[in-house]
Amino acid sequence: MIEVLKTGLETAIQDWPGRHGYWNQGFPVSGPMDSWSMRMANVLVGNEPGSAALEAQIFGPALRFTDHRVIAVCGADMKPTLDDEPIPLWESIEVKPGQVLKLGAARSGARSYIAVSGGFASPIVLGSRSTFAKAGVGGVDDGPLVEGQQLPLFDSAGTPGLRVPPHARPTLSTNSIWEVEVCAGPNDDWIDEAGKARFLEADWKLSPKSDRTGYRLEGPEWTFSEKAYDKRPENGALPSNIIDHGYPMGAINLAGQTPIILMNDGPSMGGFINPYTIPSAAFWKLGQAKAGDTLRFREILVEDAQAVAMQLIELCKPETLTQVA
Amino acid sequence: MIYDKPRCLPGGDRYILMEFGNEMNLELNFIAQGFSAALAEAGVTGVIESAPCFASLLVHYEPSKIGYADLVRELLKIFETLGTSDDLEIPSRLFYMPVLYFDPWCEACVDDYRARIADKESDPELIIRENGLKDRAELMRIHSGTEHWVAALGFWPGLPFLMALDTTKRLIAPKYNPPRTDTPQGAIGLGGAATSIYPVATPGGYQVFGRTPIPIWDSTQKNPVFQGDLCLFKPGDRIRFVPIQRDEYDELEAQVSAGQYDYNVVEYQNFVVADYNRWLTKRQEAKQ
Repeated sequence: MIEVLKTGLETAIQDWPGRHGYWNQGFPVSGPMDSWSMRMANVLVGNEPGSAALEAQIFGPALRFTDHRVIAVCGADMKPTLDDEPIPLWESIEVKPGQVLKLGAARSGARSYIAVSGGFASPIVLGSRSTFAKAGVGGVDDGPLVEGQQLPLFDSAGTPGLRVPPHARPTLSTNSIWEVEVCAGPNDDWIDEAGKARFLEADWKLSPKSDRTGYRLEGPEWTFSEKAYDKRPENGALPSNIIDHGYPMGAINLAGQTPIILMNDGPSMGGFINPYTIPSAAFWKLGQAKAGDTLRFREILVEDAQAVAMQLIELCKPETLTQVA
Repeated sequence: MIYDKPRCLPGGDRYILMEFGNEMNLELNFIAQGFSAALAEAGVTGVIESAPCFASLLVHYEPSKIGYADLVRELLKIFETLGTSDDLEIPSRLFYMPVLYFDPWCEACVDDYRARIADKESDPELIIRENGLKDRAELMRIHSGTEHWVAALGFWPGLPFLMALDTTKRLIAPKYNPPRTDTPQGAIGLGGAATSIYPVATPGGYQVFGRTPIPIWDSTQKNPVFQGDLCLFKPGDRIRFVPIQRDEYDELEAQVSAGQYDYNVVEYQNFVVADYNRWLTKRQEAKQ
């Protein structure tokens, strides 16, 4: 069991790949925004890569352990401490009953993942333990952590002293600039050639009005192809309006002139075009980007995006780990 | 138009958007839903789920199990087996939903919007004017006089996008500009040619003109009608709105909070598109 002393900023239980199978009822996938870091944290403590763990955002929680556990903290550096002694990221660490794990403000990156041996035993809602905070779905009491809450755990021994070698960790940006892969589609043919070139060349600023639902981007104006104007009235009047359709997670959704990246808790459908989509293997960069950071997009082929996603699956396995020297 | 062959468009490494046409009509939604059912039936390796919308379908797949080009090939193969939408039979439940038309809560919500955000015509009056109706009684009669088709769920978990199956009773309305910041739970709204029910209190853009006391969202998953889901409806269900008075509204609301409300739902019917089209032709001829 873990007792929540301080919640941090909407710290919540997530599992990977999240809530599948309910898109046609409007439920988002949810799950970790940086699944690379969360999967590694789980592997370090001997869990399945997708086991339920905690996602801390911008400012982390304080947690007291009631029994022996092995834990790992991966992702953003929130200067984690155990009984006020600093502990390293990307390593499995032994925790004794009564010890307190504290995470502070994110120094580099934005999200940190706390995995605990056994994994969290919160209720499964619609096939997943992931928390969808806005609708009060998932988590221990239908939402993110609450002060004083007891978080149940499954029993399992872990091995302390394991480590994710540097080459197997995501490299967080140190200059607030992120190069993020995108795939063209589904509605790239609604944008003219100049508009496409502008999208790929521009620096896009991540707006403070961004959360797990969507990331708003600030940048140049969009221009459209003939298709965006020559259409039936039920599409809607604006060039970015289309007959309501399903949205892929990661779609760059063009609401008027404001692009919004649809994140893990984003809407399942709506009436705006999606000219580009961020592939799953690039999501960790979004999860670690902060408001005010710059995003630059690099177009890759769908097949290449799939190959990278498969490399990540191969990487997030116990064989990757080394012993702490 | 309805495309001879659907357009398959990639959405990153895990999604394919299939467009069946580029307009909003029931025929296209039947194709999208029929395809969704056929895809589930086919059990293609790597397909996780699909979500039909008005004229398209989003397919979510696992790329470590099937590649993009292979999946597009599979999808088009399944489409070939579909035949025309006239051959479709879609499992379809029918829900009777009691509605207090022109309820005080939606009225208060619109009054609040007019006071705080922007002045506008009252929502029912606007719908009456836009559709050339006589009065509120005629609006209620028309809206409750047809079954509504659940074309899709989205925007918020459980929120149904509904189209009138008797197209001679189709109502239209513009959407709010700017949208409302709040809507009462259970409000009935109209935007474009689509009707909706707000599952919980959320922002919204549809003209609101009635309210149901019956939850369409159950976070406890206790009522058996939800069958382990949090949402009442699925694409392909039908809804009939049943006008009620205030005393019945209060009575039903009390039944709901006591956990004793018995949902009025018919589960023994399939929706046969060919039969529906024949009936619709007759309706349209009668109307002329």
